[in-house]
Amino acid sequence: MQQPDIKPLQEKNKRPRFFINDHIDILIEILKRLDGRSLCVAACVCRLWCTLARNDSLWEELCFRHVMSSPPPPTVRPVVVALGGYKRLYMVCLRPVLSRLAELKSRRVVSSRRAWTRDELQLSLSLFCIDYYERLGGVDERLGECDSSTSSLMFLCKPVNV
Amino acid sequence: MVTNESSTSAGTTGNSSGSSSSSSATKPSTDIDGLLAGAGYKVKSSELCQVAQQLERLETVMVNSPADISQIASDTVHYNPSDLASWVDSLLSEFNQPPLSLQSDIQHFPDIIAGTAGIPTVQNYNYLTEQSLCQQQQQLTVVTAMEEDSGIRLVHMLMTSAELVQRGELALAGSLFEDMKGLLTRVNTGCGIGKVVGYFIDALSRRILGVGGSICGSAYENEILYHHFYEACPYLKFAHFTANQAILEAFDGHDCVHVVDFNLMHGLQWPALIQALALRPGGPPLLRLTGIGPPSPDGRDSLREIGLRLAELARSVNIRFAFRGVAASRLEDVKPWMLQVSPKEALAVNSIMQLHKLLGSDSARNSPMEMVLGWIRNLNPKIMTVVEQETNHNQPEFLDRFTTALHYYSTMFDSLEGCSLQPEKALAEIYIQREIVNVVCYEGSARVERHEPLAKWRSRLRGAGFRPLHLGSNAFRQASMLLTLFSAEGYSVEENDGSLTLGWHSRPLIAASAWQALPLSDLHVINHHTNDINNIL
Repeated sequence: MQQPDIKPLQEKNKRPRFFINDHIDILIEILKRLDGRSLCVAACVCRLWCTLARNDSLWEELCFRHVMSSPPPPTVRPVVVALGGYKRLYMVCLRPVLSRLAELKSRRVVSSRRAWTRDELQLSLSLFCIDYYERLGGVDERLGECDSSTSSLMFLCKPVNV
Repeated sequence: MVTNESSTSAGTTGNSSGSSSSSSATKPSTDIDGLLAGAGYKVKSSELCQVAQQLERLETVMVNSPADISQIASDTVHYNPSDLASWVDSLLSEFNQPPLSLQSDIQHFPDIIAGTAGIPTVQNYNYLTEQSLCQQQQQLTVVTAMEEDSGIRLVHMLMTSAELVQRGELALAGSLFEDMKGLLTRVNTGCGIGKVVGYFIDALSRRILGVGGSICGSAYENEILYHHFYEACPYLKFAHFTANQAILEAFDGHDCVHVVDFNLMHGLQWPALIQALALRPGGPPLLRLTGIGPPSPDGRDSLREIGLRLAELARSVNIRFAFRGVAASRLEDVKPWMLQVSPKEALAVNSIMQLHKLLGSDSARNSPMEMVLGWIRNLNPKIMTVVEQETNHNQPEFLDRFTTALHYYSTMFDSLEGCSLQPEKALAEIYIQREIVNVVCYEGSARVERHEPLAKWRSRLRGAGFRPLHLGSNAFRQASMLLTLFSAEGYSVEENDGSLTLGWHSRPLIAASAWQALPLSDLHVINHHTNDINNIL
């Protein structure tokens, strides 16, 4: 039973083993380039990846990737963070907006690598702000639904009636 | 012109031969549908839907397999065609039927042009049959020819009774209601024409019986209904986004800005503007918001609550913000000093479906409209955004108003069919219903929903010293994008000489425009034509 062991042992001595989890900076660089769906999948790999994927700056990269050639103005981040963060912006507004617009335009399965325009991002930001405002309120009778989308964005979640 | 729509079924007794479906063959029973019986067919009223489905299947099969038809055609008639149900069944059993496809197309009913004068054309009513399907099982709800017929006749009867109301013959109009209610049971009031007609029958009966006063709700109720109307359909969102875009562009370069909202409600328009101002290049300005709303009776200050919410939002995004609430039950009660406009700031006046309430019935010299437009003009706003319903519900003749309202609200309900959010949809319908009741039922100062088309507003505002501002391509693009997000694909945005109109299947429903006060020197030119202005106002 010794023979099968020798060969991999020799192989191990020749090459240094590479664990990506030892190199978090490289890992972050890779995660920065993923699309939304892949990033969510990546968050399910292990606890480390989950923690990293929750980092809002990754989602910030994602949101601005197709829109800005240069980094966005510094005023944007505090606003988005105050309204709930980039991850929430993507999940609650940007992603449904894009998938709805793509559905209606092409009627094909939405490619998650689809680029979006500045207009779509701005519209998503406005809807995001309205969502935040509605969650602030006590006047709204849906007091129990504070973590899921509020009523103003529910229309994005419902299936499209074509 | 009052047509007697009761069934004519005199000669059916001779046709029955061994059919077991009718128990009393001697006279038309209540079980047998009277109208079909008049044509020579016996169908039970309870089975109408099934028979219609079978007929559809038969038609599908016949179209798909023409070879088999010749065989049927050459056979002698074995079955009794007057007993429609079993006849169709037996025909179907001869064919090898494919499983029924559950795709139902949206059925468009053609324009129906009434022959007699005074009843205008009834436009397309889209029966979105898919909307009336149950969630789990896909039952086909077939809109039978019978139902279509009943729907058309209901509309005719409705128009007839409206005309009688105009002529003052309320008793005769009231007598039609029994027939109409009977017809209403035959029509699907869950969607389409049945629903709209149901509301109009209700409104008309309130007018005749004089019980209209019961529909008005408290300010709190109105806010809730308005909120659900906001959620269920895109009209208010379109209004808000378009107005915000125009205001944002007008505020470019100003560091002190002041927005006056003629109807604050829950303040849903302003978060988007606050966010846009926070992110504008050059930094956010100092924003003041003055919200006008009805006074809240029971001690809660709803204006102040909304102001606090908006202030919290503004604080989160780091905008200097100040809110002021002005409680007034009518717009004409607001005086300019209440708004505390400073001359150094850029002012925007925002009116979402409020100006038409000033069009009282009296055309006196100092009409409320003239007064309000006058003080707005004197405040010299950088921009005034006006959004109004694109229809004419302020015609002097009742029948014209009624007809226009029927078309307008049919279109609006049609567009609402695409919404699947409950309870938003139901409450939005109640909101619309209250508008309908106000248009149909009330007169004089109680009738506040005096909608007028954009063309009239244009001449009125021009006469009052305003010039139009073009809304621009940004607003158009944003509006188009916003509409494509909504589930039903019938919405369209059109640009019309600088203003944007939102419509359903190219029928305009709501129009947004922007205005700016003319410099004072030009005002002299307008004052020379005050006589003309009074005619317009």
